[in-house]
Amino acid sequence: MSIVTVQLGQCGNQIGFEVFDALFSDSHCPQGLCSKRENEAYQASCKERFFSEEEHGVPIARAVLVDMEPKVINQTLSKAAQSGRWKYGQHSCFCQKQGSGNNWAYGYSVHGPRHEESIMNLIQKEVEKCDSLSGFFIIMSMAGGTGSGLGAFITRNLQDQYSNSLKMNHIIWPYGTGEVIVQNYNSILTLSHLYRSSDALLVHENDALHKICAKLMNIKQISFRDINQVLAHQLGSVFQPTYSEEGSSHYRRNPLGDLLENLVPHPEFKMLGVRNIPQMSEHSLAYSTFTWAGLLKHLRQMLISNAKMEEGIDWQVRPPLSGAPTLGKMSANKNLHFNTSLANLVILRGKEVHSADLGGFKDPALYTSWLEPDNAFNMWKTQRAFNKYEKSAALVSNSQFLVKPLDMIVGKAWNMFASKAYIHQYTKFGIEEEDFLDSFTLLEQVVASYRNL
Amino acid sequence: MGRRRHLADAAGALPEAIAALSRSLPAGPSPEIFRRAKFDRPEAAPALWRLLFRVLSLLRADRASASRAPEAQARWVKAALRAQGYPRLGLARLPEDGSQGSRELLLALAWLLAREPLPERLLAQTRVRLGDEMPVCECGALASPGQPAPRVDTAGPVDVRRLQWLMGKLRFRWRNLMASQQEQCALLGKIHAYTRGCHGDRSLGHLSVAETELLRDPEGGRQLLQRLESENARLEAALEWRRRELVFWQWMDTVLGACPPEASQPTFPPRLRGRGRRAGAWGPVAWELQALQEELQAAVGARRAAWAARVGGQGPEWSAARQAAQEAVGRELAALRQAWARGGGRAQPHRPHRLVRTEAGGPGGPGLRAAEVIGVLRSREACLEEMLCQLQEQCRQQLARLAGALPGLIWIPPPRR
Repeated sequence: MSIVTVQLGQCGNQIGFEVFDALFSDSHCPQGLCSKRENEAYQASCKERFFSEEEHGVPIARAVLVDMEPKVINQTLSKAAQSGRWKYGQHSCFCQKQGSGNNWAYGYSVHGPRHEESIMNLIQKEVEKCDSLSGFFIIMSMAGGTGSGLGAFITRNLQDQYSNSLKMNHIIWPYGTGEVIVQNYNSILTLSHLYRSSDALLVHENDALHKICAKLMNIKQISFRDINQVLAHQLGSVFQPTYSEEGSSHYRRNPLGDLLENLVPHPEFKMLGVRNIPQMSEHSLAYSTFTWAGLLKHLRQMLISNAKMEEGIDWQVRPPLSGAPTLGKMSANKNLHFNTSLANLVILRGKEVHSADLGGFKDPALYTSWLEPDNAFNMWKTQRAFNKYEKSAALVSNSQFLVKPLDMIVGKAWNMFASKAYIHQYTKFGIEEEDFLDSFTLLEQVVASYRNL
Repeated sequence: MGRRRHLADAAGALPEAIAALSRSLPAGPSPEIFRRAKFDRPEAAPALWRLLFRVLSLLRADRASASRAPEAQARWVKAALRAQGYPRLGLARLPEDGSQGSRELLLALAWLLAREPLPERLLAQTRVRLGDEMPVCECGALASPGQPAPRVDTAGPVDVRRLQWLMGKLRFRWRNLMASQQEQCALLGKIHAYTRGCHGDRSLGHLSVAETELLRDPEGGRQLLQRLESENARLEAALEWRRRELVFWQWMDTVLGACPPEASQPTFPPRLRGRGRRAGAWGPVAWELQALQEELQAAVGARRAAWAARVGGQGPEWSAARQAAQEAVGRELAALRQAWARGGGRAQPHRPHRLVRTEAGGPGGPGLRAAEVIGVLRSREACLEEMLCQLQEQCRQQLARLAGALPGLIWIPPPRR
């Protein structure tokens, strides 16, 4: 089943390119550590999901590219075509000549309706090319102008037009010391609108990715390209094919559907975070070996202590003693930092994957009281190695990962809103104060729900 | 001379009849087992337990795996027969280790055979399907509710978030199912389009998935041929059984006669295609039914009178509410009638149909048109949506009432889509 990707704005388009490139490179990687037949099945599964075939020629990414300026789109198109291995469809992009000045309201209320028909037509064409549509994957930033406002508008349109299809929005959380002064306004408006019309919000924080580049990949001058490549590696390890069942040799047909069903069935809890282990530069990779026990131990502690990477993990954080009352859970100091999960999905790829022991993740103490590990924990695996890592593990988690960042953004936005700073930029284009208040209410509710886990 | 030959013929006819019956059933034992069962020989019991298990699990479309232990199978058979209304207590008292009771088992088998055309029904259920089948009604799904859900102990309060979680999971599964079905339809369409003109049968015109696989994979073709041949053999056996079964029923009378008298001796239910001998059994059964009906009517009358007496004393608002309820029922009944009339009023066929793709505008073959079926389904969908909206509105009002009753509670309804 196929996934149609919508790349929005500068951020979305640059990331989208890296994602397709990572998926393609991995599926054609010779060091898969598995039989030829299995490798071919893996390739075929990845191709069907993300690329479409043409008569003669390279595979074409199932994507629609949208931006208000032509520069980034043209760069993306040419980079893909240059590689000679895959490309974007000639007529799959939409761009205009002018930007939107980082104004969310302009993106949502002006660009959106004005270009609605053209953009939805492009998406429709892409959908028709699929034998079967699993859902939409929308890549956008949260705080910019075009990506965020237009993205929120398009997601709502997708909800109306393809109400039965699944939608996952991939969101870039801006740097804490952000570039745009109204980024907090943009963020809360984006989040609240997406919460209503999307099925899941998969979040990547710029700060976290930056640290990974610095500490783990040892990159001196970190560019956006480096960050996007780390991101693409993480997404690839989630979406590449995995076996459908324990002991099965067929690849899962609908990973997006399975992921959403297992992680975000509750309408109030839609925020997902991704962690990946190990992550290192290719140079170091050649000199490292791993065991599943070691990887999983680190991954589990990353989950519990809300660490973003495998360095600098706080090993003092422990799950609360089972049977302790909720009050006890909150009063113990170290438990204040404990990250309670709602549901987790662990994806294992590589050698001897059947010998990996995931007992640590099935501990009921990790999860909220009203879900038991049978319901809350899922595991996917495949023997085929990912991107030259002999063993790698990814974690997609619906947990309290994002409570603090979200709370911080809401707080900052509220402080600005209280003094009505910059509001006129939004009311000028039809986003009233009441819309802001609705957004605050919804997000406060989300924060409270996650805190009460 | 003639009489001796008649007896000899009869003596030969019985084993042949039983052999035909056995060949037409799945897991049918040899005629020797039947003969031993008449004399309640213990060695015949296990084969008959197995046969009953196989037949009943097929009838109930139950995926009870054959790997169940014999004791479990025996228990299951007893429960299944009881559920069907099997009257003899002797069966219920049999030990489950398969050590005895072959005569009782034989009687149970004969009871099942007498109630309905068993071999034909089993054959219909397990028949080899060559076409792409599409169900056109939901009777099958509604009639067999499947496994009962494991009962969860709700002694303590249930967290409503858990319920929301489970509801959400159900919704996602439904959406994933829809996507899978759309995929299946798209791929079926492709196969039908690509194989146009390949089928020998002009009225069909194209191949189904099974037939395409046949061409691609010769090994699969061989297996299909084997299945068709064994199905043919069973069909022939069933036909032969029908020709010869009278002598079997005559013999079963003797088996019944060989049983010790039971406390409540029930008669065999008369076969619906009653022939001569059995017609006389109608009498006592009809009499029993009539007595039962009179008893029920008396009980219902008594209950109605008691209820009327109880509510008679209520005030005028009760009769107003009652009137409103009657009117609502009347409206619903009218709506149902209308929907039925809209659906064409004719009985929908129940068995699955083979999916055939024809040229647009070309003359269609026999059978249902997809457009008609879609039309009926759409009108049913509209009815159900209306009902859903009504029920949701009722729920909303009820919640608002409940929330209003609690002081200090602020009720924020979720935003409407």
